[in-house]
Amino acid sequence: MRADSRRLGLLVLLGGGLTLLLWYLAPWAVPHRLFGGEGVLLNPFGHHLPTGGLPHGYRDAWLFPCFSLALAWLLLSLGLPWRAGPRGLYLAGALGLGLFLLTYLLFQRSVAEVNWGAERPLLRRYSLGLGSYATLGYSLYLLLLARVYSPGGLAFLVRRREVVVPLFSLLLASLLGGAMVAVLKESPGTAGSLREALMLKLDLVTYAYQLLYSPLVNPSGFLQSLLLATPLIFTGLSVALGFRGGLFNIGAPGQLILGAIAAMLVGVYLPGPRALVLPLAVLAAALAGGLWGALVGWLKARFGAHEVINTIMFNYIAASLFLFLISANEYKFLGHTLYLPFKYPGYEARSYEVRPEARIPLWTDLLAPGGELSFALPLALLLGLLGYLLVRRSLGHRVLAAFLLGTAGYAVGGLLPGIPVSFGPDLTSVRLNGAFLLAVLALFFFHLYVFRTVGGYELRAMGLAPKAAEYGGVPPGKKAVLILFLSGALAGLAATHYVLGGGIDEYRLKQSLPYSVGFDGIAVALMGQNTPLGVGLAAWLFGILLTGGLQVNLQLGISRELVAVLQALVVLFIAAGGFLPRYFTDPLRAAEVELREEAARG
Amino acid sequence: MNLDAAFLTALLLSTLRQTTPLLLTALGGMFSERSGVTNIALEGILLFGALTAAVVVERLEAALGPGPHPWLPWVGVLAAMGVGGLVAFVHALVSIRYRADQIISATALNLLALGAPSLVLTYFYGNATSSKEVANRLPLLLGLSPLVYLAFLLVPVAWWVLFKTPFGLRLRAVGEHPEAADTLGVNVHRMRYVGVVLSGVLAGLAGAYLSIGFLNQFVRGMSAGMGFIALAAMIFGNWHPLGILLSTLLFGFASALAIQLQGTEILPAVLVQAFPYVVTVLVLAGFIGRSRPPGAVGKPYEK
Repeated sequence: MRADSRRLGLLVLLGGGLTLLLWYLAPWAVPHRLFGGEGVLLNPFGHHLPTGGLPHGYRDAWLFPCFSLALAWLLLSLGLPWRAGPRGLYLAGALGLGLFLLTYLLFQRSVAEVNWGAERPLLRRYSLGLGSYATLGYSLYLLLLARVYSPGGLAFLVRRREVVVPLFSLLLASLLGGAMVAVLKESPGTAGSLREALMLKLDLVTYAYQLLYSPLVNPSGFLQSLLLATPLIFTGLSVALGFRGGLFNIGAPGQLILGAIAAMLVGVYLPGPRALVLPLAVLAAALAGGLWGALVGWLKARFGAHEVINTIMFNYIAASLFLFLISANEYKFLGHTLYLPFKYPGYEARSYEVRPEARIPLWTDLLAPGGELSFALPLALLLGLLGYLLVRRSLGHRVLAAFLLGTAGYAVGGLLPGIPVSFGPDLTSVRLNGAFLLAVLALFFFHLYVFRTVGGYELRAMGLAPKAAEYGGVPPGKKAVLILFLSGALAGLAATHYVLGGGIDEYRLKQSLPYSVGFDGIAVALMGQNTPLGVGLAAWLFGILLTGGLQVNLQLGISRELVAVLQALVVLFIAAGGFLPRYFTDPLRAAEVELREEAARG
Repeated sequence: MNLDAAFLTALLLSTLRQTTPLLLTALGGMFSERSGVTNIALEGILLFGALTAAVVVERLEAALGPGPHPWLPWVGVLAAMGVGGLVAFVHALVSIRYRADQIISATALNLLALGAPSLVLTYFYGNATSSKEVANRLPLLLGLSPLVYLAFLLVPVAWWVLFKTPFGLRLRAVGEHPEAADTLGVNVHRMRYVGVVLSGVLAGLAGAYLSIGFLNQFVRGMSAGMGFIALAAMIFGNWHPLGILLSTLLFGFASALAIQLQGTEILPAVLVQAFPYVVTVLVLAGFIGRSRPPGAVGKPYEK
């Protein structure tokens, strides 16, 4: 217990010292920022004010009192842990949160004051700086310490290791990414001293991350993040399903390509009514992706060929096939000429446009067809969910009830009179489409199949203990083929977003099809720990980062690939268990920790 | 089809050129797998090596000014080997020390190799897809890069190291039965680190060959799956230097054929490009049953 409290004191001291350092070095607030990232930096220890200084009429009188309060709070928190234990830490953490809120409100008010009735252009690009965020971070850190050092705290963390490890890995990756930005990008603005240079660097990194997460607070960015998350949900589920069954599917890119080809073939060449063609096109994408995956499964079952290298080879083969279909219409084979009908005339490698009947509608047409907010979709979703939750019989009955009630809801909702709405051009330009709903359905499917059916039970058994599953009566070969079929089908469905949903601005197969999102699925699956909720959230997170990455590129000139690097680092760190102690990765040791803490509590 | 002498000579030379990076990488992969660690990060390490060689040589050229510097490409080669070893060390650290799944750890490095070069290229050259061309590429010896000769020379060397030295014996023991090796006083973890880093050094060398031997710049995605094909060749070659020589020659021939057939009316190039990948699939399906991987490959070792 003695050693424990000393360690706690040391940890608090460490956090406090870091906070103090950041307060001294980093700006507290940036009331104004120029294009290119140069900002007016406010810091209680002296401002760095380029090009004209503070915006006219801006008052920073709040800064110094805030700082004095924060300093008093910091000293208090440094003295507390030895005496008051976790309770004191909770108090200090709560106080810190309040302090951050106060700083935020005062800053917003002073910005609003300048903008109030101003004749010059309004202040738009303003934000708090790293100094203020350090207050927030330290408060959260104190709260975390309080939880960990109260009785049973470690067991609490260890039980939630599925959340702790990915989040910690994300934090580590972000730190490393920040360091990379600091090295690779010169800070905008001129520094007079070393301290100013450090301030500019810290501000640059903060700004980069603010841009990266900006889709969270900006409506069109928000929709765009959902758009980019859509294919990631599918490919993430595809990889996660493989993982659950003990198979590593690196073949999502190839399966996506096959799905895209099939969707294009049905969408372009099959005439018919919408009710027939659209479902068929979607099914074709799933089927083609699934068969491409199942082929690898068959090679594994029949010949023992390892799926990892084979899925990778199948990616390259699929890419060649894809180019073969849409890059030319005339090929020479041993002197004979072969004619293909698929390529659209012109220089660019692309197919013909998908017929209107086979297109997945955009979100505006789903939510508000003809400019009127329709109740069809919300009602269908609501009733569907109710149907699933209220019927208390077998899974089949519940799904059937959900489907029937959902359909009824859609029909009734369609008859109700709509409310007229209009969206701004920044919102209507986002090509979020019905494939997003398909992705959400896929999340449900994954949950139901993997966790609620016999087949899913067998699949998980195969992943956890293949030998035991085999003795338990699971045919490993057949199951591997099935797993890779379903996995490939999910990856193939990702193509519906691009080809049928117009996700890349046109309703056709194009050479620019970003099939490498299949690889991103690996990061999504690991980040989401192979659970449907986790995959959904991880895909959304990466959707946000990808959207924000565009802003980073636009405003700071840092390559968008920063996001790809962050993803790769997250995967690496999660693989290493976030470099956390062993009991976070090893279930047996985790159980040991829980038992020990249980015993200690008596 | 007119298969004249010129076509055949070109095909032969091209085969040697295409085999070189595969051979270097596959021999590296062999050392890693013989020590018990799968290294599918070789694809990424190839890219890192290629990037390092091109950027180091180009930057040094910019610093040193014009004029031929015959030693300069060799600095690039050494740098690429160093960086390759470093990236492999990360893989070793994560998968040996932290007992991570070796395939996931390596996949992370491959993903990193898809993104990181763009950041570096943007920093130095303002575009995300290729480096500036270097003036001092590796010299040619009788029409071939010296690294070609080196690669083929490494086959007997690797054989000798693996089967005739105490080091080779320990490496194989650690990959076959780590518990037994440990009982005999062999440091399992250290041997594995050496095996993995060695694979990275060789893959980095292969990368340097791609960017400043085969071409004279780094182009995004220039490894085009060679790292994976090298792994397939290693499996096909039964984790044995001579087997690897033969199998990489087969794959090198397939790639060379694809290149030589381009622009002819024999087969469409886009399909022929898929040829090595199809061969890999066929090889894995047809022959893996006969090959036997090192006993402990892919499993973290814990005392």
